[in-house]
Amino acid sequence: MTDISRAKATTSLQDRIVLGLVKFFKAEWSGAFLAIVILGISIELATSGRPFFHPSNLMTILNNSAAIGIVAGGMTLVIITAGIDLSVGSVMGMTAALTGYVASFWGFPPYLAIMTGLGIGLAIGAFNGSLVAYFGMPAFIVTLAGLSIWRGTGHLSTGAQATPKLPETFDMFGRYNPFSGLRDAYKEGELSGFWESVGGFIDDNWINFFRTFQMSMLIFIGFFIVLTIIISNTRYGRWVYAIGSNEPGARQAGINTPRYTLLTYMFCSFSAALGALLFLGRAPYAKSDYGQMWELDAIAAVVIGGTSLFGGRGSLWGTFMGVILLKLINNGLTLAQLDTFWQMVVTGLIILVAVGLDIVRQSKNPESVRKLLGAIAAVMAFLALMTPGAIFLRAKIALLEHGAATTLREAGTSLAAGQNARLLSPDEITQLQSAASANLTATLLLLVLVLATAFVVLKTSRLISFGLAAVFIVMILPVSLLGYEITVPFLVLGAAALLGSTYVHAMFAKARMLDVNAR
Amino acid sequence: MNMTFAGVAVAALIAGSTASAQDVIGYITKSATNAGWMMINQGAADAAEEEGVNLVSVGPAFQGDLSSQLEVFENLVAQGAAAIAVAPVDSAGIAPAVNDAMGAGIPVVAIDTGVAGAEVTSFVATDNYAVAKVQGAVAATLVEDGQPIIYVTGNQAQSTGQERRNGFVESFSAARPNSEILEVPTEWNSQEAQEGVEAILNSRQDVAMVANAWDGGTMGAKAALENLGFSAGDVKLVGFDGAGDAIAAMDEGWVHANTAQMLYQMGYQGIKAASAAARGEDVSARIDTGFFLVTPMTSGTYKAMVGIE
Repeated sequence: MTDISRAKATTSLQDRIVLGLVKFFKAEWSGAFLAIVILGISIELATSGRPFFHPSNLMTILNNSAAIGIVAGGMTLVIITAGIDLSVGSVMGMTAALTGYVASFWGFPPYLAIMTGLGIGLAIGAFNGSLVAYFGMPAFIVTLAGLSIWRGTGHLSTGAQATPKLPETFDMFGRYNPFSGLRDAYKEGELSGFWESVGGFIDDNWINFFRTFQMSMLIFIGFFIVLTIIISNTRYGRWVYAIGSNEPGARQAGINTPRYTLLTYMFCSFSAALGALLFLGRAPYAKSDYGQMWELDAIAAVVIGGTSLFGGRGSLWGTFMGVILLKLINNGLTLAQLDTFWQMVVTGLIILVAVGLDIVRQSKNPESVRKLLGAIAAVMAFLALMTPGAIFLRAKIALLEHGAATTLREAGTSLAAGQNARLLSPDEITQLQSAASANLTATLLLLVLVLATAFVVLKTSRLISFGLAAVFIVMILPVSLLGYEITVPFLVLGAAALLGSTYVHAMFAKARMLDVNAR
Repeated sequence: MNMTFAGVAVAALIAGSTASAQDVIGYITKSATNAGWMMINQGAADAAEEEGVNLVSVGPAFQGDLSSQLEVFENLVAQGAAAIAVAPVDSAGIAPAVNDAMGAGIPVVAIDTGVAGAEVTSFVATDNYAVAKVQGAVAATLVEDGQPIIYVTGNQAQSTGQERRNGFVESFSAARPNSEILEVPTEWNSQEAQEGVEAILNSRQDVAMVANAWDGGTMGAKAALENLGFSAGDVKLVGFDGAGDAIAAMDEGWVHANTAQMLYQMGYQGIKAASAAARGEDVSARIDTGFFLVTPMTSGTYKAMVGIE
């Protein structure tokens, strides 16, 4: 009796893990979320001494995500209706510039300037939306025209000049810190009793925590909570999805599709205007060239978050994660002080990984998941390979270029400055040759590992995967002896990915069984 | 005269019809909206008026758009401009178009950014590398050896961005060998500067100074400091360009040094050189427009000189 119940308890724990995983991967935002976690951990490892997973740094990322995040929130709804809005960056720039302009030069009180900005947003949305919904013009074209029109209008109306620093009311959308008043009062010694201890606590933890607790972040999170509630609980929310998945069907079902399409475009431009206010709350001044290329960043965030560009499917929290992923890449790579050009390459790769995860997730196919894990192992092996491999390659290339320049010179060509710079002194040549030969063994060893792992991705049995995982572990020893301890984490992660890949099929079978039982 | 690319063909035709009286000088600028570029463009317009030439000035749709710059360059050549002054968005990318124009006997004057891989009639610019070395040396006097600093770079795929960074880093590191330089990479975008500076300042408390490759970065860095609740002078700022808002920030105590390019002079002398070349006169192959070191001591002189109240 006790044995049976214990057995039941253990299986149910395992079942719960499997079910939990299934539930997690059913969520649209899981791809972006996983990418955030993986990237966060790797940056944390790369930035020893400059803490990345630190509340104040995470809040800085949220603060800097706020403006583009709200723009992307509006974009999500438009994309769910199978539309697109390429004008959001220009609308953001124009409303930012005009809001600042009327506040600085027309003597508008801040609240009136803010209403003006939001009103302009709604008006532009009504213009775009009417053309799309009632005149049947393609959204891509209407908003592409808008991209140019609103940017130009912004420049024209403000002379493309920066305003002076804006009144403090605008800080309420950005850098205002709700705790700063309490801290100031504490420092002035105006507090007593309970409030004094609260003030002291805030002051002690100011740098580590409270300093970056700002309105940007609060508005950003609040906006997504409110919007999610609206979308999941109102008729409007359901109609948005219906229009995106099957517009003629939605119309036949009696939905006034033009009206809801118009509303969605109005909301999107309104979000762009609200994003402009959040941006102004942290920016040095208002200017009409703000928000350039934001339309692409917003679309990227929406797509990374698992929303389909063809409409009908998507989630706001996915967009939330997508925006954070984009900002986290910038923040993390800056903290890690990665070379500028590498930052560009790595940014693109991370976006590919996030979208790749999402596609594999949607395929619901165990073999794809297994291949993905195998590919991760191969990438890890490749990263390990590049540690000695890069030194080897760089030495070989320098020698090759020296050879080519020497040949040219011997042929009597007069060398350009760039070619001259590639000629090496005899000392440098011996140095490079020894660097190349010293790294040759490790390079070859790890190259074999990469090729073997790449083969496993294509075709494998569980036994081979297990064996290869063991090779990853065994490889740690010779590679460390050769002086490449830095590759150890890559090899460990690679082994973990391979071991994980052997369980994928069993896991899917189990999940299907549980799913059937649950029904 | 400022117009969009779409308008240039029409403009050049109109200009062509009056060319019998006036030489048409094509002026291809890098930006019509950046504060620094507006000063350069003003200098260009004033020189054209003095010289009595017809200036057809064209700005790109957005900063850094090479393809539209190439297109307008070809249009100007085809429509018979007497000389072309260009501020290339990409030193190497513009070279083929420059070669074509020079081959057709049209003098080309490069303003601000040089051309790599093609001869030009004259190159009118600040020597970015030399000025950045001064900037680095002055910045070094503002911090003690061992104090880490942030350097906000410009676009590292352009010669202007490379020269400014290399000049600064070389002379600063020579004077303060133990100070770590943390770089914030940007493509001349003040938002990138702001976010990068905010990220680093938030994770370390020991940064003493933020030096910038251009004043858009200076203003972004200042906003980052304000966002984190710093006051003027807590972390020193060093600028490059001498733009009006950065000089105002110097008066408020935020900015401690700024190497000002003579922006107005760059546009003015560039168009002067282009007009002279169009008339067939000899022009110097390299015109250095110099710089001015603005500090709280000299900011009054500088403001009087460039006309900032």
